[in-house]
Amino acid sequence: MNKKYFMIITLISVFLLPYSALADNFEQLRKDAAGIKTVQAVFVQKKQMKILSKPLISEGRFFYVAPNSFRWEYLKPLKSVIIFHKGETRRYLMSGGKMVEDKSGGVQAMSIVLGEVVNWMSGKFDANPSFKASLKEGANTLITLVPVGQNMAGMMEKIEIAVAKNTMAIRSVKIMESENAATLIDFSQVEINKAINDSLFRDVK
Amino acid sequence: MKTLPFLILLALLLASCRTMPVIKAPAPSTEQINSACPAPFLKEPSRFVHTIETQMAGQTRGAVIGVTVADPTTRFISCAILTAEGIVLFEAEASPALKVLRALPPFDSVDFAENMIEDIKLIFLAPAGKMLAKGALADGTAICRYREQNGNWIDVLARIPESIEINKYSAAGCLQRRIKLNRTEENIYQRIELTAKEMFDYALTMTLLEVEPIDSEWTKREAEGGGK
Repeated sequence: MNKKYFMIITLISVFLLPYSALADNFEQLRKDAAGIKTVQAVFVQKKQMKILSKPLISEGRFFYVAPNSFRWEYLKPLKSVIIFHKGETRRYLMSGGKMVEDKSGGVQAMSIVLGEVVNWMSGKFDANPSFKASLKEGANTLITLVPVGQNMAGMMEKIEIAVAKNTMAIRSVKIMESENAATLIDFSQVEINKAINDSLFRDVK
Repeated sequence: MKTLPFLILLALLLASCRTMPVIKAPAPSTEQINSACPAPFLKEPSRFVHTIETQMAGQTRGAVIGVTVADPTTRFISCAILTAEGIVLFEAEASPALKVLRALPPFDSVDFAENMIEDIKLIFLAPAGKMLAKGALADGTAICRYREQNGNWIDVLARIPESIEINKYSAAGCLQRRIKLNRTEENIYQRIELTAKEMFDYALTMTLLEVEPIDSEWTKREAEGGGK
């Protein structure tokens, strides 16, 4: 598995996880996931590192249409788009004022890991041994995912997902990469099961 | 006949080696040289955040975010490369010993780390070597030439009307790096163009996102390992 892209997939995955992760068992997870047809949201990502005096802030948006269409898009500071649609993965970067396709081999590796995400989307968490999940109730529901195995060795220590208790809307995702580095993503304008134009998964614009 | 391929390869290597230009004017005293040399380099410790586009054979190969901390007094360097998604691909510091803190493929070779630190020094820090010549090229471009301790050469040129060039040559005089800066920008590091002459040439275009001065005490602590 390509480690470089694993966190991208993790970002996408954990966003969708809470809607079904609160169920009692995997059978219930699959049933809950079946009710999610689309998800869209905007996000602000704050990257914290020792070398940075203040977090590096990125902004973007995210679209998902069941069963397996994703668009994870950064609008600034570095414009880039990852699209997974009909089993094909593409990544685009802004260059010279236009979006150009990233042809590096790593993009193809994403197809493999996105296949895992599809499992998660379907509530098949028991099919993915990459994380051990635990749950804590509070003002928000906090889900903690700890990677197991060697796939993410050196990549991350844990992921914390905060979900609003009443609405089940995701509030934030915090990815702890190491003692000195973390990525915090705050979501807003989350909309579930609202129509999403299919062209978002075909055109990069 | 066995030597023919070698001779062809040698001829190609020689033909591909761009050598140092001839400086026309005679070198004045060191004091005079110091007073007039182009000096785009940092005067105080600073932190930069740039977008970095990589090109090979004229095609964009990728874009990342680069964070650089450089201190002109202690020559401490700290740097990181992140993807747009915030993944840290590479992180290292030199104080002056190189310490790689994180390196994911394809940034996990020792050569990459050493070259990156050297490139950052070339861009942001005044040459540490001795200035050996100053003058002008045939087209009137002002130039100062430095010899580094390892034998490499660094030319700093003020091209008319607006660019500064920093060119690094091997000890044998072959061009290895060309840095272009625009001195009419508000910050001279607003746009940095780096051309690397390697077995496979590549180019980087860096566009400034953020810059801030930093406390020299911070870099001193980091250089001493106190920030760990």
